[in-house]
Amino acid sequence: MALLELKNVESFYGNVQALKGISMHVNEGEIVTLLGANGAGKSTTLRSISGLLAVARGEILFDSQSVLNIPCEKVVSRGIAHVPEGRRIFPGLTVRENIMIGSSARGNLSRAKLEAEVEEMFEIFPPLERLSKSLGWSLSGGEQQMLAVARGLMSKPKLLLLDEPSLGLAPIIVQQLFATIRKIRDRGMTILLVEQNANMALSVADRGYVLVTGEITVEGTPDQLLNNEEVRSAYLGGGKK
Amino acid sequence: MANFIVINFQVLFSGLALGSIYALVALGFVLIIRATNVVNFAQGDFAMLGGFSMVAFLGAGAPYWLAILLSLVAMGVFGLIFNLGVYYPLRHRSFLPVIISTLGASIFMQNTVLYFFGPQPRPMEKVFKTSGIEVGGVFMDTQYLTILGVTIIAVAFQYFLFERTLFGKKLQATSQDKDMARLVGIPVATMIAFTFIYSAVLGGVAGILVSPVLFVSIGMGSIIALKAFSATIIGGFGDVTGSIVGALLLGVVESFGAHYISVPYKDAFAFLLLFIFLLLRPQGIFGEKISEKA
Amino acid sequence: MKKILALLALGILIAVLPYFVKISPYILNIFMQAVTYSIAVLGMTVVLGYTGQINLAQATFFGLGAYAVGLGTVDAGLNFWITLALGIAVATISGFILGLTTLRLKGHYLAMITISFQQIFDLVLNNWIDFTHGPDGIASIARPSLFGYTLTDDRSYLLLCALVLYAVIYFVWKLPHTSTGRAMRAIRENELAAEVTGVNSLKVKVIAFTISAGLAGLGGALYAAGFAYISPDNFNFARSVEFLTMVLLGGAQSAFGGVLGTSLLILLPEWLRFLKEVYLAAYGLAVILIMVFLPTGIWGLISSQAAKYRKVPHVDVDGIADLDITVPITDPAPILTLQNVQKHFGGVKAVDGLNIEVARGTVHALIGPNGSGKTTTLNVLSGIYKLSAGKMTFDGHDITDLAPYERAGLGMGRTFQNIRLFPALSVVENVMVGAQRENNPIAPGQAALRERALSALKFVGMAQSAEVIVQNLPYGHQRLVEIARALAGHPKFLLLDEPAAGLNQTEKQELVALLKRLRGHGLTIFLIEHDIGLIEQVSDRITCLNFGKQIAEGEPTHVLRHPDVITAYLGESSHGAA
Repeated sequence: MALLELKNVESFYGNVQALKGISMHVNEGEIVTLLGANGAGKSTTLRSISGLLAVARGEILFDSQSVLNIPCEKVVSRGIAHVPEGRRIFPGLTVRENIMIGSSARGNLSRAKLEAEVEEMFEIFPPLERLSKSLGWSLSGGEQQMLAVARGLMSKPKLLLLDEPSLGLAPIIVQQLFATIRKIRDRGMTILLVEQNANMALSVADRGYVLVTGEITVEGTPDQLLNNEEVRSAYLGGGKK
Repeated sequence: MANFIVINFQVLFSGLALGSIYALVALGFVLIIRATNVVNFAQGDFAMLGGFSMVAFLGAGAPYWLAILLSLVAMGVFGLIFNLGVYYPLRHRSFLPVIISTLGASIFMQNTVLYFFGPQPRPMEKVFKTSGIEVGGVFMDTQYLTILGVTIIAVAFQYFLFERTLFGKKLQATSQDKDMARLVGIPVATMIAFTFIYSAVLGGVAGILVSPVLFVSIGMGSIIALKAFSATIIGGFGDVTGSIVGALLLGVVESFGAHYISVPYKDAFAFLLLFIFLLLRPQGIFGEKISEKA
Repeated sequence: MKKILALLALGILIAVLPYFVKISPYILNIFMQAVTYSIAVLGMTVVLGYTGQINLAQATFFGLGAYAVGLGTVDAGLNFWITLALGIAVATISGFILGLTTLRLKGHYLAMITISFQQIFDLVLNNWIDFTHGPDGIASIARPSLFGYTLTDDRSYLLLCALVLYAVIYFVWKLPHTSTGRAMRAIRENELAAEVTGVNSLKVKVIAFTISAGLAGLGGALYAAGFAYISPDNFNFARSVEFLTMVLLGGAQSAFGGVLGTSLLILLPEWLRFLKEVYLAAYGLAVILIMVFLPTGIWGLISSQAAKYRKVPHVDVDGIADLDITVPITDPAPILTLQNVQKHFGGVKAVDGLNIEVARGTVHALIGPNGSGKTTTLNVLSGIYKLSAGKMTFDGHDITDLAPYERAGLGMGRTFQNIRLFPALSVVENVMVGAQRENNPIAPGQAALRERALSALKFVGMAQSAEVIVQNLPYGHQRLVEIARALAGHPKFLLLDEPAAGLNQTEKQELVALLKRLRGHGLTIFLIEHDIGLIEQVSDRITCLNFGKQIAEGEPTHVLRHPDVITAYLGESSHGAA
């Protein structure tokens, strides 16, 4: 039984249909990636799962229970953490505070427990430790991305939704970031990864789907996708029409 | 010479006390803006309600301290009702309907009180029986001292709440990025309700403190509100420290203006100062926070 | 025309009714109040309903008119008509000044400054006793004489006020369909889009405030002579809020709504006299309820219900003239040059040193991954963002510091990624705003604007929907209307931000055909697009951005095979496969 399952999900932005019947699944312990050009519907898919966007038709099952159109706060407590596009760390809170606030869905934890968990996060993301007291807005793009993931992990999710983590980051930072993503998966996390950087995403994923204007056109393993003409054309155009 | 210092200190002292009242109202006002982006034109009326709650409870025979307690509870309830009735139905709409609604709420509150209490301003006793203490030739009214004292405590409490507790951090997160706060599991609607309740209580405290000085009247809130808004803009729209500084500055300018230039026109100084800031430096002394959207 | 005459006849009939039916002086007074207030409220219709600007100082302008008459006739012994003119003049000038503040202020700030304006007026009125008589007010203001006839009879004065009101109603009713009125509504709907389409929004907002204040002054002047006694209480903040409530209740966007709201709020308390104190409280509650449930007011509700039954007028598409969009190319120099253009936000260099030349009559594409600075570049080109450094020239003019509407006036058209039309306006009105840009080579007058708009709509294939309200159109059609709006200005240059977003394959091919046609007519097109296939089909030249810098520039075949571009899009390969 898949951990996450989408069946014929349709979503709209006002009059425009963004998702035209998406069906996909993520098994426990996998990294699955959603690829596609800008505007294809990748972020929309994540937002439909986490509750930021209402779903018009279809079904979303998590751990065999429906999470369709339930409030964001409830989705988090069910065990899905969404690290959104653009990181969106809280600019006026410190790194330490950003991390601690990630646990909000788990109710009131003792100060000691929280501090211990923050230390755990510093082990996974060592560069954040020295920035512990720095305010969110002062961090670089790569540091903010790490912080956003750490914050997401604090809700102790079963499924992590990562939306375009490499956006605006220099290549070497992206390498480090993806190494960390592998590390997190190895510790037992299931990850649904949305990425524009297809090569990087396919280097860590177990499986992938390709979205074109709101529909899934191809799915398969990284090997299958890397050598697939359709993937290429989804990103770079046909070269011939 | 000593006389000159004494008089000016006197004027400064009353200006600071007055400014503290504005600061209390401004604090509540800024909190609501930061959490919800709503400019609450009814903020001053919370002060008015605070004053009239006191009148009601004292009139029913309650001892002073109990009346204060009950009034604060009542203010909390009013804040919650305001949140549910005025903010919540309009939370997704643009700023214009919301501003107008808060104006409507202000009219409603004032006229409901008018219906129950009539148009006559009511006097109210001070907190302490002694009228004042004298230090070095300067006479300091006990009510003014109380105002300053309570304001300092309120500001300290607010600082503690927001900077030192996790709950306060959650409130801050809510005002910095509402959707992200939801994604992290923060119950945003509850946070906002709390903000309204807290702001209403702050307003009520201001009203209770200033009533012995100004009399309790229907319109007392409107004028205080306008000064508080001016303070917020002068200090820097959306900035907590800025609004306190702006409020104190305003109180002092008014006090000196009344003393040296003219008493009837003292209200005009606030508006003139506001006018100047809006035209020359709309972001105020401390500027707008990064998280504010234009 | 017949409808107007019929309404006027009805209006005059109502106004002379008191001569035939006995009506108590008390009731006549109520009507006089309703009439004079309506004139002021119609000012609010213009500034708030049409232009979307909040004005909480309307009672100030009302008061300026009233006090001009009061002080002028009683203290200075001047003739009423002179003081009337004076009152209107003073109110108008004050409105002009207040309107100028909109250069810097919007939203709550604007609300605040209008309130402080009002409060200062109130203070002066109450405290400058030597001049204004202070709280005592001014009594015994005499009625005016007309043609030697003094209007002491309430009925005759009411007739005069009613006639003035009808004239004002006519003016306010016709305003939305003038170029200025249309520009006002565009600003209300989407100020940014209006600016970019060619509307000088500061000028229009100032005009709105000026008209609003002038009308309030007129109303106030008539009020003063009508009631013979005025005092500061009548012209304070509470009165401004009352005017606001009246316009909202009736329906801010319609002249009739304004009059309806005023009448209701003045007449109702009379009928509900026994509920007087509770009524005032209910008044405040009503404002909240109106905002939640009836945002367009009673008239808005009535007319939207009526619109359901009205058939969309048929448009004779064949009868529309073809659109002339030809741009003669006589100058060999590039139409647009960017020299070392930079845009920083705080510490972030969104655009870091662009040097681009766009040749006339070509299609130039700007590509790059998300966050590379493409939309920032477009916004800098439009004038929405000010440059941090560098220079831009367009068609021989230095446009570096020009406002968006001025660039539109030079022949730059633009569309937006998330379509920015004027939702409550009809399709043809949306396009007419585009035709209104400065220096548009078009005959003067509304008929010419409408013709041009229809031609532009015909060009994109949307003419049959001319009278449909734009927010009711499906997405793809809205896109086309946006393009038509840009074309109606006979542009030399089109900035298109992701024009293919959300379109299906067929629609994309139609877009490609359209772009090629436009180029064939001599237009230069500069576009951002993600659909590389589409770009390949249509571009003459491509610039590729990454992290705000230009990483490739040139012919499509060269740029799309450039290793840096491929890396930017597909990312570094860690397996070595590409």
